[in-house]
Amino acid sequence: MDRKLIRNFAIIAHIDHGKSTLSDRLLELTGSLTAREMQAQVLDAMDLERERGITIKAHSVRMMYPAKDGTTYQLNLIDTPGHVDFSYEVSRSLASCEGALLVVDASQGVEAQTLANAYLAINHGLEIIPVINKIDLPSADVVRTQEMIEQAVGLDATDAIPVSAKTGLGVPDILEAIVHRLPPPAGDASAPLQALIFDSWFDAYRGVIVLARIINGRLRKGAKIRLMSNGKVFDVESMGVLTPKPVEITELSAGEVGFFVATIKNVADTKIGDTVTEDNRPASEPLPGFEDIKSMVFAGIYTVDSHEHTLLRDALEKLRLNDSSFFFEPESSVALGFGFRCGFLGLLHMEIIQERLEREFNLDLITTAPGVRYQVTMTDGTRLEVDNPSRWPDPSEIEKIEEPIITAMILTNEEYVGGILKLVEEKRGRQKNFEYVTPTRVMLTYELPLNEIVLDFYDRLKSVSRGYASLDYHLSGTWDSPMVKMDILVSGEPVDALSIIVHREFAYERGRALVSKMRELIPRQQFEVAIQAAIGSKVVARETVSALRKNVLAKCYGGDISRKRKLLEKQKEGKKRMKRIGKVDIPQEAFLAVLKVGEDSNR
Amino acid sequence: MGQYVDRVIEDLRAAAAWDLTMPRLVDSIYLGGGTPSLLPPELLKALFSSIREQFQVSDAAEITVECAPGQLADDALAAMLDCGVNRISFGVQSFIDQEAKASGRLHTRAIALEDIRRVQQVGVQRINADLIAGLPHQTAASWSESLAVLVNSGVDHASVYMLEVDDDSRLGREVLNGGARYFAPAIPSDDAIADMYVEAVDVLAQHGLEQYEISNFARGGAASLHNKRYWLRKPYLGLGVDAHSMLHSATGEPVRFAATDDLESYLAAPGWDERRILSLQEELEEAWFLGLRLCDGVSLRELECEFGMDVAEGSRLIVKELIGDGLLEMRGDRILLTSRGRMLSNNVFERFLSLGEVVV
Repeated sequence: MDRKLIRNFAIIAHIDHGKSTLSDRLLELTGSLTAREMQAQVLDAMDLERERGITIKAHSVRMMYPAKDGTTYQLNLIDTPGHVDFSYEVSRSLASCEGALLVVDASQGVEAQTLANAYLAINHGLEIIPVINKIDLPSADVVRTQEMIEQAVGLDATDAIPVSAKTGLGVPDILEAIVHRLPPPAGDASAPLQALIFDSWFDAYRGVIVLARIINGRLRKGAKIRLMSNGKVFDVESMGVLTPKPVEITELSAGEVGFFVATIKNVADTKIGDTVTEDNRPASEPLPGFEDIKSMVFAGIYTVDSHEHTLLRDALEKLRLNDSSFFFEPESSVALGFGFRCGFLGLLHMEIIQERLEREFNLDLITTAPGVRYQVTMTDGTRLEVDNPSRWPDPSEIEKIEEPIITAMILTNEEYVGGILKLVEEKRGRQKNFEYVTPTRVMLTYELPLNEIVLDFYDRLKSVSRGYASLDYHLSGTWDSPMVKMDILVSGEPVDALSIIVHREFAYERGRALVSKMRELIPRQQFEVAIQAAIGSKVVARETVSALRKNVLAKCYGGDISRKRKLLEKQKEGKKRMKRIGKVDIPQEAFLAVLKVGEDSNR
Repeated sequence: MGQYVDRVIEDLRAAAAWDLTMPRLVDSIYLGGGTPSLLPPELLKALFSSIREQFQVSDAAEITVECAPGQLADDALAAMLDCGVNRISFGVQSFIDQEAKASGRLHTRAIALEDIRRVQQVGVQRINADLIAGLPHQTAASWSESLAVLVNSGVDHASVYMLEVDDDSRLGREVLNGGARYFAPAIPSDDAIADMYVEAVDVLAQHGLEQYEISNFARGGAASLHNKRYWLRKPYLGLGVDAHSMLHSATGEPVRFAATDDLESYLAAPGWDERRILSLQEELEEAWFLGLRLCDGVSLRELECEFGMDVAEGSRLIVKELIGDGLLEMRGDRILLTSRGRMLSNNVFERFLSLGEVVV
């Protein structure tokens, strides 16, 4: 296809601002899918994606659009994940496009996520078409939204397209704008191949499927390709485009987007952002922007029933076939037995993996408190990376600790600023900027320790702002911080799986809040249970779960025996789902008590 | 009501022909379900004559009828005596009028005491009164008062139940759902209920009503033979809606089954749910969780005789641990709940359940 007739674009939108509905509408209008074939929100294929209304994986769809000028254009929609955990993936998807639709809800306005991704798109030199969605709602305010786009994003919004993705109103204008306002891809089809990988996954029938944008050159079926980050060579067995149904083709050339299947066995070989080139005529350089994915959040995952440990390993291996962005390695805990230390892109990513393990593999899991990776310099000059509290070195041998820092952008309404400032101070934040982006909307820029974000920051932010705050962040260096390991003792015994790393000055407060939350979560037992938080040998907080006074089936006569047996069995089953440590039964959620600490203080 | 009694009699006759071992000599008959005292005299008589037709009733048999206070007419009481009834059980629940009313009872303390006196007057000396600890509005003081009234009424048997919050009662459901109907918010705390129970055990003992089971108390020798059958796993035949039975198969295995719990289906046709034959493991579990309810506890030697040395051996480890926890104690060769163990008896009982795995 003539490159001039190709348009590659992404859609940038906040959760619930209508990205998926709009994508569906575009597919329908271009005849890619008949109405009958439309399953609501075609692109979010995973159950979890539909339920949570988020996109976890990137996708691409080719649509053929006969424009009003009489020419048929090839439009490639590259759908990007919509969460800060996946910002690297977003940046690679954007690097595959020349333009983007910036979708803003006409009553909600611009959110932090939209803003961050819009900036990212501008930095990648993308042409942006502002789209104001949900104009059918009575609360829609197109003019205000326009102003907000201009003030907050700094884009000229005079030509913003007002639409209702739900009713289809205005959507044809978007297609025309894509054709006329977005530039066609550049690139040289005769140059050596450079294709950008922006997603890959494992398909049980076909093996590893790679989505790529051809920047230069041509990719042909049967070609011998080389992945530039690792030098591995594979043969392209088949290729095609998603319409969204897969359609086989034999060649993709500069400017085009499609998938290919090669003799790749391991999805971890196909790193997002890597460059595909031809083995016998390699490009001199890879495309810019490639990074090895680094885990940001770490947690231990264990099965409640220690006999299921091998099932967990199998499940993790299977999941990793599909998602090479998390890692796991065996670890063992005195309290929980054998399990795995896992690294994730972020908290949402961790929740997704955990939920998929439980749902798809039917496992009962205990996840330990999430934490980050610290750089520890020892007094003898050696440097360690520690992401597991149980490997925390002896404090007397620690010279310096560096903790990862993020820069967070929080966009909110003026009236919630007070509450949010209090929260970010409590979370050890340092203000970088405070700006009114519109007369009532404030953008706060803060540096915060990542450690504080992975605990309960999202939920706390949501509750102090009643949902009217949005957050985006990126990693931005480290701070030297006096971190200490806080142990939790249950009935006098330290439970290794409950240890966390905290800032020394906040340790007392955290300890108190944590043990008090644990007291709520641990049910009364036969004996009084003491819960203590300690730093080294010093106890900083203590709570007691008083002993259970009674647990009696008062009546048990002829008709009750079978029923009472069931009741006793149910009680016993319930305990099996708890973890017995010493003589104390600890429910799964108590291991994540640290995530729930802030819940009550906000109610 | 006539139709209902007819159905019961029909089942009674049919049961004699079952392929289950049916003891011919009956030493206990119990008419339960709250208000069988409302049965018209002629129906009561019809019922008893057909029991005596099908079974041989021992002269010393304990024959009990449950009554709601205030619902025992003179002619019904006379008919009971004619039928050989020698024990009456009153569902008093509380001798405090406000509490009885809040839990939907129609009687007052005066009515309950008057009924007890009438029954005593006609010569029935074996009388039980039920009390519930944990009713809405109940306090430590009102509970002591209920107990005092009970011991002074001269009954020779008492049942004290701690309120069970579960799906089986409307109050229980309301409490679970956090609702405000049926005075659910006015129920005492769990710990307060536990205190009431402890007080009951003490006060009743001081007045000669010794505890013989988790919820049952009696003057010397007045323990209910009938109820003891359940805990000692002796066979019983239950008739009527939702009546449960435990009988032995021809080969000696215990079999449990019940009649439908739906009145209409019960009236429509004879029907029983599937018979459940207990495995040896289940029998052993029952031996523990029923036997330990009795203050006499469970004899290890008897268990060994019944189940064999190696099967009983599995229980020994559990027993040892529970003794270590202070929930069980050993007296001679008998294992019994300690008073703390009684309060936490579910924690004890569940330990003996294997959930399908074989404990050996």
